[in-house]
Amino acid sequence: MKQKFTSSVQIILQLALTTVGQSYPGKPKIIRCRSLEKETFSCWWKPGSDGGLPTNYTLFYSKDSEEKIYECPDYRTSGPNSCYFDKNHTNPWTTYNITVMATNEIGSNSSDPHYVDVTSIVQPDAPVNLSLEAKTSASIRYLWAKWSPPPLADISSNSHVYHYELRLKPEEKEEWEIISVGVQAQYKVMRLQAGVKYVIQVRCMLDLGEWSEWSSERWVQIPNGKSPPEKPTITKCRSPEKETFTCWWKPGSAGGHPTNYTLLYSKEGEEQVYECPDYRTAGPNSCYFDKKHTSFWTIYNITVRATNEMGSNVSDPHYVDVTYIVQPDPPVNVTLELKKPINRKPYLVLTWSPPPLADVRSGWLTLEYELRLKPEEGEEWETIFVGQQTQYKMFSLNPGKKYIVQIHCKPDHHGSWSEWSSEKYIQIPTDFRVKDMVVWIVVGVLSSLVCLIMSWTMVFKGYRMIAFILPPVPGPKIKGIDTHLLETGKSEELLSALGCHGFPPTSDCEELLIEYLEVEDSEDQQLMPSHDNSHPSKNAKMIPKETDSDSGRGSCDSPSLLSEKCRESHALPSRLQTQDIRDVQENKGGKRSWETQCIASEQKIFLFNIENTKSSTWPAAQLPNTQPPVFAYHSTTDAHKITLSTTNVNTAPALVGNEEKHQSQYPITETVHDDMEKQREVENLHSKTDQTTVQVKQNRPNDKSPFLNPKLMDYVEVHKIRQDEKPAVLLKHKENSGKTEKYTVPGTSKEYTKVSTVMDHNILVLMPDSRIQHTSVSQEPAMETSQNLQQGQDGKNMSYCLTVPSECKRETSGSEYMDPSSFMPSFK
Amino acid sequence: CHTSWMLTPNGKEYAQKIPREELTHLILKLLQAWKEPLSHFNQHIEHHQELPDDSLSKAKQISSMVHELKTGVEKVTEKARFSINSLNGMASPEATGLSISNEANMMSDSDFIHCFRRDSNKVQSYLKILKCRIMPENSC
Repeated sequence: MKQKFTSSVQIILQLALTTVGQSYPGKPKIIRCRSLEKETFSCWWKPGSDGGLPTNYTLFYSKDSEEKIYECPDYRTSGPNSCYFDKNHTNPWTTYNITVMATNEIGSNSSDPHYVDVTSIVQPDAPVNLSLEAKTSASIRYLWAKWSPPPLADISSNSHVYHYELRLKPEEKEEWEIISVGVQAQYKVMRLQAGVKYVIQVRCMLDLGEWSEWSSERWVQIPNGKSPPEKPTITKCRSPEKETFTCWWKPGSAGGHPTNYTLLYSKEGEEQVYECPDYRTAGPNSCYFDKKHTSFWTIYNITVRATNEMGSNVSDPHYVDVTYIVQPDPPVNVTLELKKPINRKPYLVLTWSPPPLADVRSGWLTLEYELRLKPEEGEEWETIFVGQQTQYKMFSLNPGKKYIVQIHCKPDHHGSWSEWSSEKYIQIPTDFRVKDMVVWIVVGVLSSLVCLIMSWTMVFKGYRMIAFILPPVPGPKIKGIDTHLLETGKSEELLSALGCHGFPPTSDCEELLIEYLEVEDSEDQQLMPSHDNSHPSKNAKMIPKETDSDSGRGSCDSPSLLSEKCRESHALPSRLQTQDIRDVQENKGGKRSWETQCIASEQKIFLFNIENTKSSTWPAAQLPNTQPPVFAYHSTTDAHKITLSTTNVNTAPALVGNEEKHQSQYPITETVHDDMEKQREVENLHSKTDQTTVQVKQNRPNDKSPFLNPKLMDYVEVHKIRQDEKPAVLLKHKENSGKTEKYTVPGTSKEYTKVSTVMDHNILVLMPDSRIQHTSVSQEPAMETSQNLQQGQDGKNMSYCLTVPSECKRETSGSEYMDPSSFMPSFK
Repeated sequence: CHTSWMLTPNGKEYAQKIPREELTHLILKLLQAWKEPLSHFNQHIEHHQELPDDSLSKAKQISSMVHELKTGVEKVTEKARFSINSLNGMASPEATGLSISNEANMMSDSDFIHCFRRDSNKVQSYLKILKCRIMPENSC
């Protein structure tokens, strides 16, 4: 009852609504669901009646047997009344239960459920871009079909493999021939009938699912042997020697066989048409015009006609004037010749001949040549235009390298370049280089030999060589000159020390010669030069005896200076400059430095230390005149302190001699020695520690200063000076040891010092006798050897001028003194 | 071309066959035939605004060259003492000068240039053959 009631109410309502025009929607129906590639799918439905009101459609689906109901994710992509399930919502292995509900204001209505299994609804789109081409290969006609797979919205899913199928049929027929193609997107269709028009379609399928729809139709006409040929084209015409020419043509693309080609031409100004005289000579598809048929300065109108069973076709006309189409053959007989002119560098001459056909001799055809060159390993060609000559001289090629050369030619007027001649290899001979190498090797060997020799000589005789090459610069050799004084430039003193009142030295040079007296002693010893009156400032100058030839001074030669051997010291009469120990004048070259130290008021004794042998030191002031007193420094009553300092020695009075340290006060006659030698100077006087006064009196008549007479080379070592007594210098005289009173009397002009006593062994005590001027310990011969070194304390036996004799040669001739003029420049 | 009526050898053999005097005469005829048309052409193109200046100067240069060439060939003729058949020779260029010029003036510019190019090539080839015939040692 109730049901009847409700249904009747519904009917009434419906009727009422229908009369009004509105009702709930009709039932939609799902038409179709389809997947393109198994990863997405879409469903379409058909709406029912809409009931007069706007209707919304919603799609609900559930998977497999789950309860959950989802709504369609995308209503738009596939169009109206569709639902698109993208990759995320698509599960290939599930069954979807899909329903569509139509809803409007009044009510809703849902469709029947639709069960969808994705894998079963796969159907791709049809392939696209089907292209067909009829080809003939080896007289076999086939059709080549190509297409593309269906496009996908989602490009990433490109990995799908489609299977294709092709079907074709002649246009008029009804039955299709279906060909399974496989996975390729192309296919060659054989067994086609000629002259038939075919229609072709393709479709595709994924590995599971359904075949797509057939693609759109394509038609193709299979060429027929009976069709007229296509138009041939004339490609080029050339004349190799300006007397004949040839034309080539290209047949049309597709032509039935057999096709005959005929070439027809006419000349300018003539109506008549001729046919090609020669189809063979120049090869297939060509025409050769020989001399008779070639005319210049006329334009040819050339055409080619292709004829076959079905008809013929004519090419476009080609106009040609033979004059302008000349392209010669390449030059021939390319030869190389190496020319070696005398006194000039060799060069290569490249010669060639014009191509054999070209008639250059009559002037009908004039050729210009160009050659190109590159080293074998090089990449770029160097092109050289040669002109009309058939030879070329190459000067600038590198010896030893290999070059490639090619030549081509061209008519001098209109025309084109020929092909390049075949490659010609040039190998530049390397003998020049070999010669050069030999020369260089010889030069190298010789120079190395020379160097070796020189180095050996240097090693072995280095010193001598050096001395030979670079002789030492002799310095001023004034005995008794204080180098320091010289440095400071007090010329007066120097001069006075020299004993020269005026400048230049006068004839009493002899007097200037002073022997060295090296006095060494402790402080209170003083040497007072005996005469030291007039010449105040005579520093102790030592005039070394010059033994070597270096001195080369003027008349007043001063002996060369000090070698180490010779020590000089002397007390200067006039003044002793008190000086600190210092090196007077150190010369670089190892000159001796004189150290003078003077103490004392009046007399000064300068002790020179000779540092190095080399160089001449400068002369100590010289001294005393007449008898060249050996030195006569002796202090007068005063105690002079004479300290000799050697360079090495510190303040302690040291003597002379480079390395020695002695204290001695001894008058030393220094002998000059060869300054070249580095020998030590001998002398050293050691002084006893105790005070001794060394007094040397020089016997000088008018001596200006007590200087050592450089003449006397040797020095006598002053052994001891007793102060209490009258100053006496104990000289140790080597040779004359043991002799009392020995005073060596030197040569004629030697000075002598009287020896008062002889002490001990080899000690001479000299009298400070005025007569005895010199403690010439050393006489020339004897003197020279008589240096005694006091062996005192240190026992050092410094080298004396043992060698002095040889080196410290004295010049007996004249007194040796320094020529002040020689050291003038040093004066300030 | 306005010189087409002239009988000129069309190939090497023909050119070598005819005697030198005739060849020389031919050359002179050709050169003479171009003298007037060239000057007319120069005047004609001077009013052309669109031509570059090079072309104008080049054209003038060519005219003078042709003139010089003609003079030179005449000198050569004198020196070589070619006996020219006076009847056949010099008269004709002058006589037909006017008609030639008229004809030349009516040509279009491109035809004019084409004809001139061809004739100058002819003259060059003939002169070269002449040269090698007269003085074979000179690079022939």
